[in-house]
Amino acid sequence: MDLHIFLITTHLIGVALGVGGATFGGILYLKALKDGKIDPMEGEWLSIIFTTLRVGLVITVLSGFGFLLEYRMTGQEERLLDPRLWAKLTIIFILVSNALLMQMRKIPMWLGEGLSITSWYGALTLGIIRGADYSYFTFLIFYAIAVFVIIGVLSIIKKLYLGKYFI
Amino acid sequence: MTQTLSILLSVHIIIGVIGIIASYATLLWLFKKNISVRLLKISSITAFVAYITAWITGGYYYVVYYGSNVKPIIKDGPNPWAHSIIMETKEHIFLFLPLLAFVILLTVWFKGNNLQENRPLRNALALVVLITLIISVFMALGGVIISGSARL
Repeated sequence: MDLHIFLITTHLIGVALGVGGATFGGILYLKALKDGKIDPMEGEWLSIIFTTLRVGLVITVLSGFGFLLEYRMTGQEERLLDPRLWAKLTIIFILVSNALLMQMRKIPMWLGEGLSITSWYGALTLGIIRGADYSYFTFLIFYAIAVFVIIGVLSIIKKLYLGKYFI
Repeated sequence: MTQTLSILLSVHIIIGVIGIIASYATLLWLFKKNISVRLLKISSITAFVAYITAWITGGYYYVVYYGSNVKPIIKDGPNPWAHSIIMETKEHIFLFLPLLAFVILLTVWFKGNNLQENRPLRNALALVVLITLIISVFMALGGVIISGSARL
């Protein structure tokens, strides 16, 4: 297996764990809130999911920097200044800052959850789209709009499932 | 670039990112409900060793190769500021990292058992870790810009 295939494989595993963890973390959290409290078993499941998510984040970041190294070593340095790459790095930065603020309980759950899901899916989208020649700020405007949309959608889902708004 | 230098540059980048992850883990674990001193010891020593290794490998690459081969390309390119501002800043501010990581390591190893009850100590340590993390993230992103400007 050459280095590029190894990087793609590990990056995909990391993204799968991250996106899957964020999605199932959200679903289980919602289910746990149905009876108004998180019991020890639900707490344990959520803890396992968030640990998996963080493992996914570590694998994604390490393999992501592996790609940057590959660009440097194979004469593709111009790709290191690609606005799409920098938008992705910014979203990852928001993602890890959000995780920290959630751990410190300095951010409301509805905002943290919305940022986490949007950031994972946003980074995934930026990783797979091709031919989107937008500027760095255009990508971030799309991301900011997506954050508001996802928070709104999550709020509606919670209203339908739990019968009350959380924002 | 020789194979040895390629390996050194690769080690510099990957171990630097491992240092960032270890500093981030230290900060995250400091805010757990039940602080695990064992985990903090692992993350703080990983960060310290990583920054020292990144310092040595990056320093060697800089002295032997960067100055005579990469720097002139960047200075003649469209982004000369990538060297004159970012690399110059990186060169000097990087030196804080091993020292800050050492302070964190000593605090965790010698005062780790007090972190759970002593909130001012935990918060002060968290601030030092946060500063370390911010500097190390800046180092990594600066490195991406410098490498990207080496060809344009």
